[in-house]
Amino acid sequence: MSDKKVIEVKNLVKEYKELRAVDDISFDVYEKEIFGLLGPNGSGKSTTINSILSLLKYSSGNISIFGKEMTPDAYDIKRDIGVIFQDVAVFQELTVYENIDYFCGLYIRDKKQRKQCIEDAIELVSIGDYKKFYPKQLSGGLLRRLNIACGIAHKPKLIFLDEPTVAVDPQSRNSILEGIKKLRDDGATIVYTTHYMEEVEQICDRIIIIDKGKIIASGTRENLKKLAKIEERITVEIKKMDKEKLEGFKKLEKVTDVSYEGHTLVVSFSGGKNNIANMIDHLRNNNFSYRRVYSERPTLNDVFLELTGKELRD
Amino acid sequence: MFKHNYIYSLRLMLRNKQLVFWTMAFPLIMAMLFNMALSNVESSEKTEPVRIAVVNDDNFKNNQIYKEAFNELSKGDDRVFDIKYTDADNAKKLLSDEEITGYIAFKNFKPEITINRNGIKETIMTYVVNEITCQSNVMIKLAFNKLSDEISNGNYNNIQKIFEEQSQKAFNGEDGIKTVTPKNMSFVMIEYYSLIAMSCMYSGLFTLTLMNYLMANISAVGKRSTVSSARKSGMIFGSFGAAFTIQLFGLLLLYLLLIFGIRADFGSNVPYVILISLLGSAAGLSLGTAIAVLVKKSENAKFTVLIAVVMAGCFLSGMMGITMKNVIDKNAPVLNKINPEAMITDGLYSIYYYNSNERFIVDAVSLVIFSAVMLLISLRGLRRQRYDSI
Repeated sequence: MSDKKVIEVKNLVKEYKELRAVDDISFDVYEKEIFGLLGPNGSGKSTTINSILSLLKYSSGNISIFGKEMTPDAYDIKRDIGVIFQDVAVFQELTVYENIDYFCGLYIRDKKQRKQCIEDAIELVSIGDYKKFYPKQLSGGLLRRLNIACGIAHKPKLIFLDEPTVAVDPQSRNSILEGIKKLRDDGATIVYTTHYMEEVEQICDRIIIIDKGKIIASGTRENLKKLAKIEERITVEIKKMDKEKLEGFKKLEKVTDVSYEGHTLVVSFSGGKNNIANMIDHLRNNNFSYRRVYSERPTLNDVFLELTGKELRD
Repeated sequence: MFKHNYIYSLRLMLRNKQLVFWTMAFPLIMAMLFNMALSNVESSEKTEPVRIAVVNDDNFKNNQIYKEAFNELSKGDDRVFDIKYTDADNAKKLLSDEEITGYIAFKNFKPEITINRNGIKETIMTYVVNEITCQSNVMIKLAFNKLSDEISNGNYNNIQKIFEEQSQKAFNGEDGIKTVTPKNMSFVMIEYYSLIAMSCMYSGLFTLTLMNYLMANISAVGKRSTVSSARKSGMIFGSFGAAFTIQLFGLLLLYLLLIFGIRADFGSNVPYVILISLLGSAAGLSLGTAIAVLVKKSENAKFTVLIAVVMAGCFLSGMMGITMKNVIDKNAPVLNKINPEAMITDGLYSIYYYNSNERFIVDAVSLVIFSAVMLLISLRGLRRQRYDSI
């Protein structure tokens, strides 16, 4: 990531009659970073992206890309942008190759150059075996990969990916995420919107969390996780637990929360270095019959829970 | 960008089975069905003269043109009419007793036709009387023009002679009243003309589909096209050009079937037939564009709206029976001024039946105006680049 700004969004507001879908948000995206917009469905992520792309009229605010004001007829800016929408945007009547060629042809006129770009895009998303297939012959995962190939074949410098992995199998998801990281490594700047926190954690360099049209937190993964009051969560599988014994766990050092549900004990810690050792000692000293014990670092879901009082997927 | 979009638009349309069916196969199927269903009906209906009554009052007696015309048309074995000259009350009685198809009374030198129902014989009667009116109007206009020329040149002596010449032409000329017989009329032709009109208007399905692909608020591919660096005008022209190409190919297939398979007659003025077909196709393409922009519903809903509009237009222009054309002509002529199918049908009809270009020109100009209005309406939606919601 460099310190060169690729996108600058200042005080963006988008209102639909009585609903404020985007509420005065500002952020910058820097060159060669993967910038994540994380938030639940309906939080305003896609509206923000569509406003940045000049597809939507917005109520107020300023948007600039590559240092220039973004407008619907800013063709010189658009030439370096690639967009992968949430809905698969391909023609059912065209083959995989033809679809990529059509959309790539909207940017690149030279046939020879276009051919090379198409081959590169096909290779990146690993759909080389399906060039002559029609979209209806592809699985959901392959269709998503084609959707991505159509958006990035012209080798854009800035790529928007709006929930590109919705309803995708794990294998395709991994392939897509690896492809995105490769695009960043090759020099592209990525804006990635999703409601899957695992994906954001896996690939994003910086993240903003949006809820009800507002940015509620922003920063790197590590910075954001500091917003959660817990630092470690230990889960233990225990067959039996009574109220008195459960209270005993609260006496351990740095414990912030204890819960027991469905034979699973979850103890959250706000700090400490030997929590898991202390926990095992406590289990043994009190003659608990337990099976699995594992420790987790806080997730972005914990951050979201801390900030909004609800789960990210609510 | 034009070429790229043109080539891919052709592929998109030719691989869309629904489009190919409605725009190419459906008119061909309809033409064959019409041929099977109507060719026998026409020949049997033509042979018998139509029994009518004429109210023989002073209005008629002083109307020389119609007197001569009815006299001509009720002579010989291949006569058009069996005419009873009678008073108004008896004419009414004859009609209510179903002894005649209809009767004609004159008011202010204009014929008024009374019929009880709509059928082939009633249509023949209406058609022939309308033809006489039309021919007499042409005759009067030509005579008037010629007289004006002569008077402006100071020749006052030839007035009587000119009028007699024009009268002779009107009755005995190549396109005169004498030629207005069922032998020279094909009621099936109007069905085929209407079919061509339908084929022209169904081309709207092409533009409807292609414009949906360009609008970000309608389709996902529309969003992708809108955010690309390609200019919208290039994409629109490419799509429109491809739609026009395929439409003309489909129309060519229909003409080949009608001319060589069904032996339909389109008269001898081929350039006019081509011109009205081109203008009709442009009207269809522009109608499809307008519906794509104006109807804020799903693609299927837009398809349904377009097909409903086209079929309604075909019905009103006489596809499901020539009688309807006459009913609209008589009762709601304004519908024919806004119905592109009626303009196309009437344009082809005028090429076949009339020597004068006036009616054809009116139809052709009306189609140009219709297309221009539709495109102007569409322009706002097509030029829109930012949407309130997506």
